[in-house]
Amino acid sequence: MTDIPQITNDMGDLRVRARGLQKSFGDNHVLHGIDLDVAAGTTSVLIGPSGSGKTTILRSLNVLERPDSGTIRIDDVEVDFATLPDKGGSARQQIAALRAQSGMVFQAHNLFPHKTVIQNVIEGPVQVQKRPLEQAVDEAKALLDQVGLSDKADQYPFQLSGGQQQRVGIARALALKPRVMLFDEPTSALDPELVGEVLSVIKELAAEGWTTVLVTHEIRFAEHVADQVLFLDEGVVVERGPSAQVIGDPREERTQQFLKRILDPA
Amino acid sequence: MRHAVRLLVLAFVGLIVLPAGSATATTTHLAQADDRPVVRVGTEGVYPPFSFHDAKTNKLTGFDIDVIKAVAKKAGWKLTFVETTFDGIFTALDAKRIDVIANQVTRNPEREAKYGLGTTYTYSRGVIVVKKGTTGIKTLADIKKRSDDDDPVTAAESVTTSWADVARKAGAKIKAVDGFSEAAALVVRGDADLLINDNIAALDYLNTTGKDDIEIAGDAGDEVSEQVLAFRKDDPRLEESNKALAELKADGTLAKISEKYFKTDVTVENSGDVDVSGGRAARSDTEVAKDAAWPMLKKLLIATIPITIISFAFGLMVAVAAALARISGSRVLSAIAKAYISIIRGTPLLVQLFIVFYGLPEIGIKLSPWTSAILALSLNVGGYAAEVVRAAILSVPRGQFEAASTVGMGYWQSLRRIVFPQAARIAVPPLSNTAISLLKDTSLLAVVTVTELTQEARFAAANSGAYLVLYGVAAVYYWVVCVGMSAVQGRLETRLNRFVAR
Ligand SMILES: Nc1ncnc2c1ncn2[C@@H]1O[C@H](COP(=O)(O)OP(=O)(O)OP(=O)(O)O)[C@@H](O)[C@H]1O
Ligand SMILES: [Mg+2]
Repeated sequence: MTDIPQITNDMGDLRVRARGLQKSFGDNHVLHGIDLDVAAGTTSVLIGPSGSGKTTILRSLNVLERPDSGTIRIDDVEVDFATLPDKGGSARQQIAALRAQSGMVFQAHNLFPHKTVIQNVIEGPVQVQKRPLEQAVDEAKALLDQVGLSDKADQYPFQLSGGQQQRVGIARALALKPRVMLFDEPTSALDPELVGEVLSVIKELAAEGWTTVLVTHEIRFAEHVADQVLFLDEGVVVERGPSAQVIGDPREERTQQFLKRILDPA
Repeated sequence: MRHAVRLLVLAFVGLIVLPAGSATATTTHLAQADDRPVVRVGTEGVYPPFSFHDAKTNKLTGFDIDVIKAVAKKAGWKLTFVETTFDGIFTALDAKRIDVIANQVTRNPEREAKYGLGTTYTYSRGVIVVKKGTTGIKTLADIKKRSDDDDPVTAAESVTTSWADVARKAGAKIKAVDGFSEAAALVVRGDADLLINDNIAALDYLNTTGKDDIEIAGDAGDEVSEQVLAFRKDDPRLEESNKALAELKADGTLAKISEKYFKTDVTVENSGDVDVSGGRAARSDTEVAKDAAWPMLKKLLIATIPITIISFAFGLMVAVAAALARISGSRVLSAIAKAYISIIRGTPLLVQLFIVFYGLPEIGIKLSPWTSAILALSLNVGGYAAEVVRAAILSVPRGQFEAASTVGMGYWQSLRRIVFPQAARIAVPPLSNTAISLLKDTSLLAVVTVTELTQEARFAAANSGAYLVLYGVAAVYYWVVCVGMSAVQGRLETRLNRFVAR
């Protein structure tokens, strides 16, 4: 991938900037003012216990979930959720604009089962971004090649293994040329022997300079790939910093307990 | 999916083009005609020899048809014929779906009070028809006596006819039928003891069907009854018609028409004996089937099938709209959709047809028979299919909506490209059932005066009494189409299943 655009805007080299994200589901206050900065070309990893709000943060960045308040800015698109109207054309437009900035990879891949692999990948570029079909197909082929699936282009998702499906999911997100890639536990639904192939794709992307936000329980992988690690608990960022610090030498007791629990469960 | 959309579009176009097409047809017709006023004539089409379909040409013909045509010629009208059951005929007149009834309407005080009755063009008497070998029922007095003995006879009649009144007054219980030949069939079956009707109709029936299991037992009273054209009260065309009839009487045209059918002039009082033997000869069942097979097939192709396709397409659109409303999250929309579904599923289709065709004109909404049929059937299908569609949409995992959003799709695009194709897989089998039911439901459309396959079979049966072969042929036609529909369903299912692990 050579066409990663260089950032030239007033955010300096900040690609993602979230401030004060609040989110409740009914009485359940899930996010308590989350701030998140992701520098362009870096990888941030969210870790934390189940229910701490990692998925909700990621879904907020893609506006699959609407924060109750706070602002999210990705590249040059910013939305202030406190003032965003409940519905109507302007709200829809703003949400669509912000959403177009990020590419989402789901834990359960959510491929379109009625479309072949290549159709899955070109769906967004052709149907939404209205790019010429031929160009989209060429790009899709290159992407499939990159994730090691060039021979599966005309298969249906049900004909693929879990790891292959997840890699198609990654290619589908990449095809939209997002400013930031979001991964929500991309390997936790996979058989152990399939985890590696997906992680290596993510690692490659990071190496190529894609800006990435990743939620994962693969602590060793996180430590290796992350420029920044955020430890979340009960909807607040408890600790953040370089992976060597947060994972290698955590300061907060909660972080230490979590890492201990997850690294040697016994 | 793209196919389904294309089908819907085609159906839309069809609905727009079809009436337009028929309009063009009438215009070309009119082109040579002119601007004569159009008068719509209500008639049964199943009451030989007065109003029936010729076995060979399948054209509407008969004594009453010839008379009204002669009247129209004198009065300078252009006629269109609307065929309906006798029991629907006055309703149709009230609802202004027709302007005049030419179907041996017998003059009586109630009708005199309510309608504009013309001058008499037939004098006839009623006869009592019984199963061969029946004893003890020869006169109205016999019927009266059975009633006094607490053992009333049963008479098969169209309930709104004057003959039904005669039977009722004599003390008979009425068994409701849709026309003369059905009445005769009930007498043969023994489900009715007798029928009372016009002696001409009875003689003609015996002559043309060749049936010898019923017979005329005697006269129903000695009163001569008078048959007239019936208009709405105060319709100026009543006067035009009376004037025309007087002229036709004077110039001998009426007598000539009568001679053609009856070998005597029934348009004057005290004519000689009616002789219908020169009319249509009895045909064998094979001949009847052969004569009717093509007209029935034609009705299948130009009415039953197109109505089914169009109604299904519209019904599906209504169903999708109702299903989306149900899951929209808007309480108002959801409530409306729920009420609609409940009403449609909670009421018989026949009642819905009556409401659309006869009821709506009372509040100023008058739709053509075809439009009424398609409207009622579409709404009906929509009500049934809505829940199927809803369940199918809900069967698509939430993650699919989310993935569609993630690649940037809006609500409608997600539905069209991602959700519907997957929902279709779930919906096709139950929707096929709906479509097959719909095809068969079109057999009710006679009540809105649409002549489809079943009605065509009725016409032929009225002419022959050959129920078994005629309805047998109709059954085979329906069945063949259903087999075809099942085949289409199979292919669709295969197509839609190609992306699912087996
Ligand atoms: N759509 C929703 N409706 C109601 N509650 C929700 C919804 N989504 C998330 N929650 C709640 O929000 C809290 C945070 O959930 P979230 O999925 O963000 O956690 P997580 O950190 O991703 O956990 P896990 O590691 O198990 O994936 C949980 O208490 C969860 O029950
Ligand atoms: Mg999660």
